Amino acid sequence: MFSYFLRRVILMLPVAFGVSVICFLLVQIAPGDPLTAIMPVDATADEQAAMRAIYGLDKPLPIQYAIWIGNLAHGDMGKSIATGRPVAGEVFGAVNNSLLLAFSAAVIAFPIGIFLGFLAGYFRDTWIDRVVTAISIAGVSVPNYWLGIVLVIIFSVNLGWLPSMGAGPGGSQDWSWDWLHMRHLVLPAVTLAVVPIGIVARTVRALAGDLLTQDFVLALYAKGMSRGDVLRHVARNAAATALSVMGLQLGYLLGGSILIETVFNWPGSGFLLSNAIFQRDLPLLQGTILVLALFFVAMNLIVDVAQAAIDPRIKRS
Amino acid sequence: MKHLTKGFAALVVAASLCATGAVAQGTLRIGMTASDIPLTTGQTDQGGEGMRFMGYTVYDSLIEWDLTSADKPSVLIPGLATEWAVDADDKTKWTFKLRDGVTFHDGSPFTAADVVWNLDKLLDDTSEQYDSRQSAQGKSRIPAVASYSAIDDHTLEIITKEPDATLPYQLAWILMSSKANWEANDKSWEKVAMSPSGTGPWKLDTFVPRERAELTPNEAYWDETRVPQLDKMVLIPLPEPNARAAALLSGQVDWIEAPAPDTIPAMTGNGFVISSNAYPHNWTWHLSRLEGSPWNDIRVRKAANLAIDRDGMSALLGGLMVPAKGFLPPSSQWFGKPTFDVRYDPEEAKKLLAEAGYSVDNPLKVKALISPSGSGQMLPLPMNEYIQQSLAEVGIEVEFMVVEWNQMINLWRAGAADPAVEGAESINFTYFIQDPFTGLIRHLSCDLIAPNGTNWGHYCDPEMQALFDKIKTTFDPEAQDAVMRETHEKFVNDALFLMVTHDVAPRALSPKVKGFVQAQNWYQNFSSITME
Amino acid sequence: MTAIDPLDMPVTEAGKGYWSGVGARLIRDPLTLICMSVIALLILSAIFAPWLGLGDPYKGSMIARLKPIGTPGHILGTDEQGRDMLARLIYGGRLTLFIGLTPVVLAFFIGGTLGIVAGYAGGWVNTLIMRTVDVFFAFPSVLLAIAISGALGAGIVNSLVSLTIVFIPPLTRVAEAVTSGVRALDYIDAARASGASALTVIRVHVIGNVLSPIFVYATSLTSVCMILAAGLSFLGIGVRPPEPEWGLMLNTLRSAIYVNPWLSALPGLMIFITSLCLNLLSDGVRSAMNVRD
Repeated sequence: MFSYFLRRVILMLPVAFGVSVICFLLVQIAPGDPLTAIMPVDATADEQAAMRAIYGLDKPLPIQYAIWIGNLAHGDMGKSIATGRPVAGEVFGAVNNSLLLAFSAAVIAFPIGIFLGFLAGYFRDTWIDRVVTAISIAGVSVPNYWLGIVLVIIFSVNLGWLPSMGAGPGGSQDWSWDWLHMRHLVLPAVTLAVVPIGIVARTVRALAGDLLTQDFVLALYAKGMSRGDVLRHVARNAAATALSVMGLQLGYLLGGSILIETVFNWPGSGFLLSNAIFQRDLPLLQGTILVLALFFVAMNLIVDVAQAAIDPRIKRS
Repeated sequence: MKHLTKGFAALVVAASLCATGAVAQGTLRIGMTASDIPLTTGQTDQGGEGMRFMGYTVYDSLIEWDLTSADKPSVLIPGLATEWAVDADDKTKWTFKLRDGVTFHDGSPFTAADVVWNLDKLLDDTSEQYDSRQSAQGKSRIPAVASYSAIDDHTLEIITKEPDATLPYQLAWILMSSKANWEANDKSWEKVAMSPSGTGPWKLDTFVPRERAELTPNEAYWDETRVPQLDKMVLIPLPEPNARAAALLSGQVDWIEAPAPDTIPAMTGNGFVISSNAYPHNWTWHLSRLEGSPWNDIRVRKAANLAIDRDGMSALLGGLMVPAKGFLPPSSQWFGKPTFDVRYDPEEAKKLLAEAGYSVDNPLKVKALISPSGSGQMLPLPMNEYIQQSLAEVGIEVEFMVVEWNQMINLWRAGAADPAVEGAESINFTYFIQDPFTGLIRHLSCDLIAPNGTNWGHYCDPEMQALFDKIKTTFDPEAQDAVMRETHEKFVNDALFLMVTHDVAPRALSPKVKGFVQAQNWYQNFSSITME
Repeated sequence: MTAIDPLDMPVTEAGKGYWSGVGARLIRDPLTLICMSVIALLILSAIFAPWLGLGDPYKGSMIARLKPIGTPGHILGTDEQGRDMLARLIYGGRLTLFIGLTPVVLAFFIGGTLGIVAGYAGGWVNTLIMRTVDVFFAFPSVLLAIAISGALGAGIVNSLVSLTIVFIPPLTRVAEAVTSGVRALDYIDAARASGASALTVIRVHVIGNVLSPIFVYATSLTSVCMILAAGLSFLGIGVRPPEPEWGLMLNTLRSAIYVNPWLSALPGLMIFITSLCLNLLSDGVRSAMNVRD
C-alpha cells in the first residue's frame, strides 16, 4: 500500500510542474497592460515605467518564471497588483471560504444523490426510477448561475427568509457555526449542490442497477441471504466507484463555484478570480488558479489511494 | 427523514426570524460599486468612490470641498489649512496657515512638518516613507508643485514650477496620513493599511480586504459640526449591480451606490428612497482633431450635437440623468452663457450636414471607440447604440470599435494618432470634471497632447491656449471663475465634444436613513446622517 | 462533469448491421425522438432565422423596452433595449449552439486523433501525449475555461479556443483507452503481422471500433459545453454585446428580473431546455449503441 502511495506521489510531481508552467504562461498570453487597473487614468509614461519595475514586469519571461517559482518555494506568491497585499494570504483566505461552500454543497448533495440513485437502481424500470432519472437529468442540465438568481429573488427579495450575499453578518473573518452565519450559506450551497445531486444519483443508479442484476447477487439471494445483507454487500462493492466520483465532484465544486460565488458575492476563490480577471491582476490570477489546480491534483491523489484501499484490484490497473 | 423535515421547518422559522432581526442602532451599511475596499493608507485608489468613502472620511486635505449644500455647486473651503495666499511679487510662492490643535487619530499633533512628510511620501522616491501605491494615486494630481517647506509648526510654503492659480484645487486631492502611526507600525505601509490614522471625522475600526470596512466616529474631530452622529458606518464592496439591489431589498445594507435603472421601480415600490443630484461628471464623445478627421468641420460637430434626443435617452436611464447643455453640467458655476444651444433639432442637423456635403443617402462615416463597461460610463452599450441610431437618422453612420475598459484606458492614453486606435475618430470616455484642470484644461491643452497628456484628440488652438494660461495666472478666485466661464463658452460654442449627458450619482437609501444631503460633488458628507 | 466513466465504453465490432440496429433502437425510443426533434428544430430555426420573418435582433426602441410576454407584435416581449425577444432568442440560439457545439466537434477530432495516435503507438509517444493531457486534467473544467477565457479576454474566437482546450483532454483519454484496448485484440496483431502499414491498420481496424465509443462520449459533453459557454458569456468573458447569445442575454436581463421576471427567465429557460434535450439525446444514443443493454 505504501509503495503504491509513493508511486502515485512521484507520478504527481511532473503534473504539478506542468500545472505551474500553465499557470505562469496563462497570464502571459493575456492582452493589455496589467498596470492600467491600478494607475490613475492620467498617469504619465514615467510613472508607469516606475511601477512596472517595482512589479518586475520589465524582465524577460524565463527570469520572471524562475523568480516566481523560487518565491513560491518560500510560500511567497507575490503581491497583488491591485491591492498590494500578499497574494498567498488573499488566496488561502478565499480558498478557505470556497472549501466551506464546496463541503456544504457536498454535504447536501452526496446523501441526497446517493439516496435517490440507490432508490432508482433498486426499483429499476419502475416509476420511481423514472422520477429520479428526470430529477437527476434536470439537475445536470440546469445552468446553476441562473438558478442562483432565481433563488435570490424568491427567498431573499420576495420572502425575505435568507440573505442574498456575503459570508456572514460581519464578513468571513469571524465565521462560526451558528445560524446567524450559516443562513448565509444556505442559498449558495443549495444552488451549488444541484449539479452534483444529479451526477451522483446517476452514478449510483447505474452502479446499484448493474450490481443488483449481476450473477453473484442472484447467487447471494439463492444462498438465502436477506435483502438487507445483499444490499450491504452491494453497497460495499459500489463504494469504490462512488467514492471516486464524489472525490472528483468535490474538486469540481471548488472550481465550479466561480459563477455561483459571483452571483452571491461569496468571498471565495471564484469571486477572487473574477476580480483578478477584470482588474488584470496577474499575480493574483496566477496564485488563485495554481492553488485551486494543486488542490484538485491532491484531491485526485487522495481519491486514487482511497479507492485502492477499498478495492485492491484497482492497484493493478 | 422525519428529523430532516423537522430540521428544515426549524431552519425556515429561524430564517424568517433572523431576517427581520434588528441591527444595532445607528449603524449605516453601504454597498459600494468598487470590488475592493479602497486603499486605506491615505491617498486612495478606486477612483471617486475611493476618495468618497475612504479619503474624506478618514483623512483631511489642506483645502476641501464644501459638501453641505445640495442646491449649489460645491466650492473650495478651508480644511487643514485655514488660509492661503500667493506672494504678491513672486507668483510661484504660496503660503498656507495651518489649523491649530488638530490631532491624528493616534493622538499625535498635526503640523507643517507632517505636510512636508506627506508630500515627500508622494513625490520624493528617496524618502523613507515614499509609497509607490499612494504616489501612483497622488503624484499626478499635483503637477504644479516644485518644492515645499515648513516655515514654522503652522506655516507651510509651497513653490510651484510656474505661476499656477489652480494650486488650491490640486491640493484638495492630497490627504494627510500620520507619521507617528507609520513609525508605530514599523514604518511599513502594509501594516498601516490595517490600522491607519488620519485627522478625518471617521476612524477605520475593522478592515477585511474585499469584504468590509467599519468606520467609527472621531469624537475629537476639529470641526464639531462634522462629528459623525452614527455609531458606525460599514462599507461593503458589491460590484455586481444585481447583488447590490438584492442586498438592499433583503435588508443586508441600508444604502447602495448606483442602483441599476431597472431595479429602481422595485426599490421605490418597497419604500426605498432614490437620492440623486447633479455633479461634475459628463458623458461625451471626445473627438479627434487630427488632419482628415470629419470632426474638424464645425458644421458636422454641431449637427451631431443637434441630432440626439437626450430626453428620449432618459427613459433608458430611468430618468436619472441631466441632459447635456454643454461640457459642464448646466448648474456648474462655470457654465457661463454659451450662444450655441445644445438641443434636439434634427432638421437643423440635416441642414448643417447638407452644407457639409452629407445626407442620409450619402452618409458621413465615422468610427467610435466604446467599451461595454467602465467606471462612470453609465450604460455605455445601450446609450451608444441609441446615439448610433440618432446619428444615422440625420446622415452620420457610426461604426463601433468595442474594447474592454482597461484596453479603452490604454487607447485613451495613447491618443487618436496611435495606430492601436485603428483610425477611430471618436472615443466615448466619461470625465470627472470637478476643477479647472480636470474639468477643462487637461482635455484640450496643447502641451498635454496624448500620449504626453490626456488631450486625446490632438486639439490645439492658440485662442483656447491663451484662455488656459489666463486661468492659471488669474489668482483672484472670482476673476478666475469668470475666465473659466469664458473658456467653457468656447467649449460649447465650438461644439468641441459630442455632449450627451451628465450622470446624477443615484444612490438608493433605506427609509431609515435620515439627514443625508447629497452635495453636487463626487464626494459626500456622512457626518449628518442618522439611522431611525 | 458527467458521470460517464470513459473506460466503461462498449468495444464492439462495427458494421452495417450494427448501425441499422442502433437506428431501429433509436426510433423505438419516444423520449429520444422528442429531444432529437427539439434539437433539430432549434438548429433549423437557427440556420433559417433570417427567413422566418422575425424582427431585427439588433434594432430596438427605447420606448418599447421590457414589454411583457404576449405583447402584440412582440410575442415574447422585448429586452432591455426594446429588441424583440423572439428574434433575440432564435438568433441567440444560433450563436449559443455554435459556441456550445463547435468546441466539442473540434475536440472530438483533435482529442480523438491524439488519443488514437497515443494508444496505437504506445511507448514514448503515448507517454508524451498522455502526460501532457494529465497536466490539463489537473484543472477542473470550469476553472480551466474561465482561466483561459479570462486571460484571453472576451470574444467568440477566444471562447471557442478555451472551450476546445477544455474538452480535448477527456476525449484524448477516452480515445487512448479504447484504442489501447482494441490494439490488444488478436485480429489487430494478425493484421500487423500480415504486413499492413500502421496507417492502414488504424484506418481499417482501429477507427471503426474506436469511433463509436468516442462519439458517444463526445455527445455526453455537449450539454456541459453549452452550459459552460453560456456561463462564460454570463460572466462577461464570452460573447461580446450586442450579439444575441443566451448566456449574455441572461446577464444583461438580470436587472430586469425586478420589472419583468418571466421575461428575464427566458434565456435561462432556453439554456435549460436545450441542455436537457442534449443530455437525454446523449443518453438515448448511448443506450441505443450499447450492446449490453
